[in-house]
Amino acid sequence: MNKKTILLIDDEQSFLEPLADALSTEGYRILMARTASEALDILKKEKIDLVTIDIMLDPGETLKDKIDSHKTGIFLCEEISRNYPYIDAFCISVISDIKIIKKIESLGIRFLRKGETPLRTVLNMLKSRLTNVSYSSARDSNPTKRN
Amino acid sequence: MSNHVAEIEQLKKENKELLKKIEQVEKDREEYLQNVSHQLVAPLNAIKWHIENLTEGRLGIDRIQKVLRSIYSQATLAVHLAKNFNLMSNLEADHALTKLKEPLQEIKLCQLLINLADDFQPLAWDRDIKISVIDKNFEDAPVILAMKPLVSQVFSNIIENAVKYSNSATEIIIEGIYQPKKDSVVVTIKNRGIGLDPSHTKKIFDRGFRSPEAKSKYPAGTGFGLYIARRIVEIHEGEITAKILDGWTIIEVSLSVKGLKGKARIRE
Repeated sequence: MNKKTILLIDDEQSFLEPLADALSTEGYRILMARTASEALDILKKEKIDLVTIDIMLDPGETLKDKIDSHKTGIFLCEEISRNYPYIDAFCISVISDIKIIKKIESLGIRFLRKGETPLRTVLNMLKSRLTNVSYSSARDSNPTKRN
Repeated sequence: MSNHVAEIEQLKKENKELLKKIEQVEKDREEYLQNVSHQLVAPLNAIKWHIENLTEGRLGIDRIQKVLRSIYSQATLAVHLAKNFNLMSNLEADHALTKLKEPLQEIKLCQLLINLADDFQPLAWDRDIKISVIDKNFEDAPVILAMKPLVSQVFSNIIENAVKYSNSATEIIIEGIYQPKKDSVVVTIKNRGIGLDPSHTKKIFDRGFRSPEAKSKYPAGTGFGLYIARRIVEIHEGEITAKILDGWTIIEVSLSVKGLKGKARIRE
């Protein structure tokens, strides 16, 4: 069976655990990154089908002097949009700054708010994205039209 | 005439500076609220999602125990943070000395620290961190007279910080000893983690101060935990200091045994 791989990027263990539990039950292969540096390393090495990104995130060793940790996720959204446009991406964060949310959405990345979105909703959205969009067909699509 | 022009120019300049300061205050306030929200939402979201997994029957028997422990640790964290924000709102309004009135109680610090360590241990286990209270010497230290909920918050802030900034698979060591000369009980809490720049050992107790390492490791912090700890220790006329020794970050709190006994330290 060709398991789809999901990369969860968040520095909060408390966020990663229940989401990973739910997604593993659905049969997905789960990878986790707790810093932006870790995430970029995994993206280089692994074939990822979908990624979830937090905004306020530890940049990690290689990026700590280059990025404001309050906006690490925006950097990652831009990186993924630019270099991995075939990967589906969701941003799951507690931020409420409408400018940042619009910026993320303008990259074709769906924004979900932590604390307000039930796990079942997150699960259904991720599953439906993974079922509807195949890896090869999504690769050539315009990332700004993901939604 | 030229005097008036100069005066107007001066006022314009001052006005501009004032507006700049107001903007900065507003920016800081927004960042603070965003961080507070982030800190509180994180454990509550975890609890909600864990419960969803349990009720939807997504977890195997072997996983359920771990998830229940995680729910407990996240609830502990949420309660701890809510207490901190309540204290913070008092301090922000500068009501600290009039509103933070609690009855004085006899506190056995060793037992208090054991209870707090038990409370935070499930959270620490998430990153394979062990919290040890060394009761040798500490067990025999006399009781102190102080405001228990506040003193408890001092140590829970320090322990929570230690858990947050420790490296995985390390140990947090808590010790205490009675110092007869000062008639005080001195508690030390040490951990190995992101460390502390020697030039920051005093600043970490300032309101809102966060070291670059702390900001990077945990962006959503408010920099108020150790500030609250310092203010409470000061109210009790104790001492709180930080130092680095052989790779350990050490926070030391000294509280007088007589404490506030018979004294109206909490001034109106």
